[in-house]
Amino acid sequence: MRWNNTHQDRRIQRAAPWLIAAILGLSLQWLLFGQVTPPPVGPPGQVSLTQNSANQPSPNQASPSQVPANQAPANQPPTATQPATGQRTLLIMIDPAHGGTESGAVLNPVILEKDVTLALARRLRQQLITRGIQAQLVRDSDGILSVDQRAVLANAAQPALYISIHATSQGSGMRIYTAMLPASGDNSGPFVDWQSAQSASLARSRWAQGQLVAAVQKTGFPVRSLAAPLRPLNNITVPALALEIAPTTGDVSQLASADYQQMISAALANGVATLIPALRTKPESAP
Amino acid sequence: MIPRQFALATVILCCLAIGMSVYVWQLRRREALNPQPSVPAQHVSPPTLGPMEKVTVYVAYDDPGELRAQSISIPLSSGRQQRAEELLRGLLNIYLEKNSPHPLGAGSEVHDVYLVNQGIAVLDLNSAFVNGQTSGILAEELTVASMIQTLSTNIPGLMRVKILVDGKERETLAGHSDLSGFYDVSQVTALAKQLSAQ
Repeated sequence: MRWNNTHQDRRIQRAAPWLIAAILGLSLQWLLFGQVTPPPVGPPGQVSLTQNSANQPSPNQASPSQVPANQAPANQPPTATQPATGQRTLLIMIDPAHGGTESGAVLNPVILEKDVTLALARRLRQQLITRGIQAQLVRDSDGILSVDQRAVLANAAQPALYISIHATSQGSGMRIYTAMLPASGDNSGPFVDWQSAQSASLARSRWAQGQLVAAVQKTGFPVRSLAAPLRPLNNITVPALALEIAPTTGDVSQLASADYQQMISAALANGVATLIPALRTKPESAP
Repeated sequence: MIPRQFALATVILCCLAIGMSVYVWQLRRREALNPQPSVPAQHVSPPTLGPMEKVTVYVAYDDPGELRAQSISIPLSSGRQQRAEELLRGLLNIYLEKNSPHPLGAGSEVHDVYLVNQGIAVLDLNSAFVNGQTSGILAEELTVASMIQTLSTNIPGLMRVKILVDGKERETLAGHSDLSGFYDVSQVTALAKQLSAQ
């Protein structure tokens, strides 16, 4: 009996390092790739293709992804220089601007910008979820968040697209903004300049802006694209847009109407859905 | 026993104190009944001695959300800094008119414009300017683009612009347009083209 126990102990002692190594290896793979998959077949350093690899250009093909960001064709996103490593879990982060004591524009004595943005953001989230797109709000209550806090939350979540929502009484329809900063920011190193953190994603933001404008225009809703010196767009490291919604009738109370918000959120959700195939590719910084 | 003259002096002083209190109370009451009309603090600018010149200013139009180039004739000094201040005051006069295309609050004024080395301009606005500014992304960027584009068109060599309010840094103009950093004139020019091309 004693011999048997000793023998078993030795076997366990021999097997333990291999068992620990296997567990560590699997854990590392899970951490890196999100799921446990067989190791890629191919030369070392080559990244395995994804489930939707049929839609991806082969490395030998001249693909839009190899076009420099500032020369991207209008119908293709300036995107990955490498194939994607996995089908990304897409998250759209919606940021209802203002909140708490910071009410934004006083649209009329009873309608505040912070309330309109929150209501619209909730509707947009619902519209996206019904289309099978994961969506999250930066604030889901009347709380106050600084622009830096909003940027930190968005950068930590690494969404596929960040959308900041604003409302105004001026003008008509919708304006879609990208950040106003130089297209070639010096953010190639390990540290990113906070004031121009968006620079690496600006080309993709502009592409998303163009696609979203085109999608909303199809509904006949007045929409316009511009750049804006607006924070926290500059501080977001992923594609980021800001929307400003105005009434089409000149009556500010239209902004608070459920029908109007539903129509806008549906048009936006349809637009975001058209971006999904391109957003699934792994965003790499433009060369 | 208190001396007689001390008692008299005390009584006289007490009467004087009571009389003055009643007078002050009456003055305050009269002031409360007839309040003076509040006059916004106007910046008193020195008279311009230069000749009338035709300059191009970029005027914001809220209704279509556009920036339009417009020629105006204003007296301009020969000094670069004074010219910059007079240009902005000429632009603000358009916004402070009765039928302004981009209304600003009463009393809006540019305190000073400082032109420093390496093409940097610092604009110092007053608090009435930002308090009267309509809140909104487009409304605020029209104001900023209008001022910077007017300056850069008429003051050659301008590369960056910083906006202060009452001499202090401010986070935003009216909740949206970022004032925490410098504006790159080339970017504002590109934005002005976007805003003009509608």
